[in-house]
Amino acid sequence: MRASVPISWLAACRATVCLATVCLAAFGCNRREQWPQRPVTLICPWSAGGGTDRVSRQFAVQLESELGVPVNVVNATGGGGVTGHTRGATATADGYTLTMATVELNMLHWRSLCPITPDSFEPLARINQDAAAIFVSADSPWQSIEDLEGQLRESPDPLRASGTAAGGIWHLALLGWLDRSGLPSDTVTWVSINGAAPSLQELMADGLEIVCCSIPEARALVDAGKIRCLGVMSNQRSPAAPDVATFAEQGIDWSIGAWRGLLFPQGVPAEHVTRMRQAILRVAGSDEFAEFMEASGFQVAVADGEQFADFLSQTDADFGRILNQPEMTQAPSSAIGPYFLPSILALFGLAIAAFGWGVSRRARASDLAAEPTDRVFWKSRLRSKDIEGRRANVATFARRWFPDAFHALASVATLPLFGFAAVIVLFILTCETLGYVISAGMMTLAMLLMLRVRLPIAVTATVVIVPSLYQGFAGVLGVPLPWGWLGW
Amino acid sequence: MNPALLQAAGEVFGRVDLWLIIVAAACYGVFVGAIPGLTATMAVALFVPVAYWLDPVAAIGAIVTMVACAIFAGDIPTVLLRIPGTPASAAYADQAYRLTEKGLAQQVLSVSLVSSVVGGVIGAVLLMVLGSQFAAIASWFSVTEYFWLYLIGLSCCVMVAPAGTRWKALLSLILGMLLSTVGLSAVHLQPRFTFHTVDLYQGISFIPAMIGLFGLSEVFANLASVRRGEDSVPSAGPIGAFGAMLRFSKAAMVSRFVKRPADTVRSSLMGVLIGMLPGAGADIASWVTFAAARRGGDRDADRELVDAIGDATTANSAALAGGWIPTLVFGIPGDSITAIVIGVLLMKNVTPGPAIFENQPSLVYSIYLVFLVANLVMLPVGLLAIRLGLSLVRIPKQILLPVIVLFCVTGAYSLNGSLFDVTVMLVMGGIGFLLNRRGFPLGPVVLGLVLGGPLEERLIQALTASGGNPLGLVNRPIAVVLAIATLLIIVRILRGQQRATA
Repeated sequence: MRASVPISWLAACRATVCLATVCLAAFGCNRREQWPQRPVTLICPWSAGGGTDRVSRQFAVQLESELGVPVNVVNATGGGGVTGHTRGATATADGYTLTMATVELNMLHWRSLCPITPDSFEPLARINQDAAAIFVSADSPWQSIEDLEGQLRESPDPLRASGTAAGGIWHLALLGWLDRSGLPSDTVTWVSINGAAPSLQELMADGLEIVCCSIPEARALVDAGKIRCLGVMSNQRSPAAPDVATFAEQGIDWSIGAWRGLLFPQGVPAEHVTRMRQAILRVAGSDEFAEFMEASGFQVAVADGEQFADFLSQTDADFGRILNQPEMTQAPSSAIGPYFLPSILALFGLAIAAFGWGVSRRARASDLAAEPTDRVFWKSRLRSKDIEGRRANVATFARRWFPDAFHALASVATLPLFGFAAVIVLFILTCETLGYVISAGMMTLAMLLMLRVRLPIAVTATVVIVPSLYQGFAGVLGVPLPWGWLGW
Repeated sequence: MNPALLQAAGEVFGRVDLWLIIVAAACYGVFVGAIPGLTATMAVALFVPVAYWLDPVAAIGAIVTMVACAIFAGDIPTVLLRIPGTPASAAYADQAYRLTEKGLAQQVLSVSLVSSVVGGVIGAVLLMVLGSQFAAIASWFSVTEYFWLYLIGLSCCVMVAPAGTRWKALLSLILGMLLSTVGLSAVHLQPRFTFHTVDLYQGISFIPAMIGLFGLSEVFANLASVRRGEDSVPSAGPIGAFGAMLRFSKAAMVSRFVKRPADTVRSSLMGVLIGMLPGAGADIASWVTFAAARRGGDRDADRELVDAIGDATTANSAALAGGWIPTLVFGIPGDSITAIVIGVLLMKNVTPGPAIFENQPSLVYSIYLVFLVANLVMLPVGLLAIRLGLSLVRIPKQILLPVIVLFCVTGAYSLNGSLFDVTVMLVMGGIGFLLNRRGFPLGPVVLGLVLGGPLEERLIQALTASGGNPLGLVNRPIAVVLAIATLLIIVRILRGQQRATA
């Protein structure tokens, strides 16, 4: 018996070491050969439903089968692309975050809206490029770019145009064309409408004369004969509209377009870059993807790492030149300034608040009649040096002038309130490092205990609810939640 | 009979797989819609990769069903926990929750379900019969008309408040609109109130704000009363047998069609007309009909309130059908959901637009029929969901409150995958708690947040197009009509206020 104990102990020890070695080896091998191991996030800087979102989601599905791990699309929208591109560039450089960058990457930093430039990224591959095109209403008299140019030259009133917000890619396209044709930029008034679809709607409602956007965005209306495409700003005809003449064919040397491409943040290990680039190029070259892009009207234009990097620096320089022109550096002419509406609202709000305060004071006047109202008495008491008296004064003062607030604060049990707020703040701070399951688990447990739930029940509830919620969101719905220490 | 219609009917009703897909889509829609933070748009976006493997009718059928169900399911947390799923349900969140506190949750939910179904069906019929005529109306709307329409929506949310407290609603609205100016202004291409923080460039998204304002603030309110020994979490009322719920639904159906046929038709018509205008259609429709149903003054009787909620849900379901009008007729998306639908259709080599009616009439008819089927499937699935929801709320409060917070946090995070949104939710929770204690309504804050940006954009676009002349806001006939309507509403609000203070 005595001898057997150390032996079995030794055996157990040995087995553990063996197991650990095997695990480590397996893990190490996995690490090197089977990258990626966990879900990849694809950041789309534009909202769900738009063209970039569609391309991203299609690409994600195919990339998923190529990489063997889930690829989840996250719409990091807002700020005209600032949010998404910034988040993509500042993501952890572990190769698990991809960005579907768009042409705005070339433009935002020239407008000093964000410090992110193409150099903040490691280019993987460009997958698509769509040329700008000029559209007019079908019942307008203009049949070609030349006609439109003539109109702009002769007409005393400017024509109204849109396609995107002022300073967006299609606005630049139009200004570039005017510049090449020697027309002054004030022959067109750019109405800042956010997006091609509402601009086309406005064109049909006769609110505009010209819309500048890409062909796929306007295809349904062109096919329906409601609007006419006068020309594509490119050297070759668009496969989506092969019968529309290019600008080059109409004698204007001007081509510009929007592009979409996949990028890693700067600093991802080289072997991961290579692996991801191979996968992306395989997807981009697949028949399935080509079919999807053709059906949606997007033009596939693949450029791999080197070419894409050259393309990026080339376009970046081009856009820098256009955006630094004097007419572009001036603040975009807008009917009312950016702070006009907020200040009007604030003034109006103050007026209403004053009115409301008056109303509620009048309503409460009767309740207050019982309390002392002698002003002299108040003044003398406020001047008194006695601290206790002052404190009492403040309390009475508060009760007198802000009865609601006083009542509210006095009757609220503030402790659990601040406790809950504090654990949520803790969650926000720790979530990125610890991962969703640990952080959310701690938060839930803390809240349960704060409400005096018995420990076993609280632990059971946490252990059941949090992981199943994670599984529901990340597994079933494909909505990624932060990944942390547990691999969850 | 029309051969295309017959073919479509055969395709929709005769296919077992299509029915299975629709039922599955209904369950998925209810599930996603009932989780605060996950929107109908997100449900559809997540579904797109699956749609690739389906034929056009099945794909569209699934999308229509899941959206209708998600929009209805948004009402379940609204009524039970006061966490609205969409800005459209924010219109009546406070009122519905007040009814829940009185133990009427089951009744309100049944009415909401039945009204959603009725609104959806009427909307589908209107889409079928008058689709192209309505589309002509939509094409007259330029930025100027939108400006006035948004203003009507905003003034309606002030009118909904009882006369004496309208200044509070107005103040909430202004707060919402001020919050909406935070971030990069799209028309000026200039950051406002961002204090050089990149996170603030995206502005304050309304979904996390809504979850915070309503959901988290309600948890705070509960916590504040816990220590005082009050029990303010509403008992959701006894869960009756299924029979009781069917009885409620039948009563609701009778009331929809027999007692209030005029209101039902009016709400549906308003829903379709407003919903077909690209932009925040369904939300405005919901507010405007809710205001119209309560225009009679300050009757706060439960019965009236339930009816008003019914009208609003009718309108917001009908608005979904409305959103398809510009999509099918022009190929211009009516909202973010139809934008995805256009993508899916293009993927199937179907180009929406006028040509679709000539080239593929049977597909169009199939879409119409699918609308009807989707709304009918919603009835049983919705009843099950309500029952499930009612039993979940019966979990003891000490466990329910932390779970609600967990859902609020997860929902706010998952919208954009951003912890900043969780922060926004937390701050808005605090603001909502304070506003609520002082008797300020929260719905107007959400509407201000949703419509503040578009309103400013439209104003600037209209002024730019007219060369800076303010008369440009009233130089088109429809604009003049809408402007007069806005003025009438404002006058009404002022007179009501005068009477209340006098």
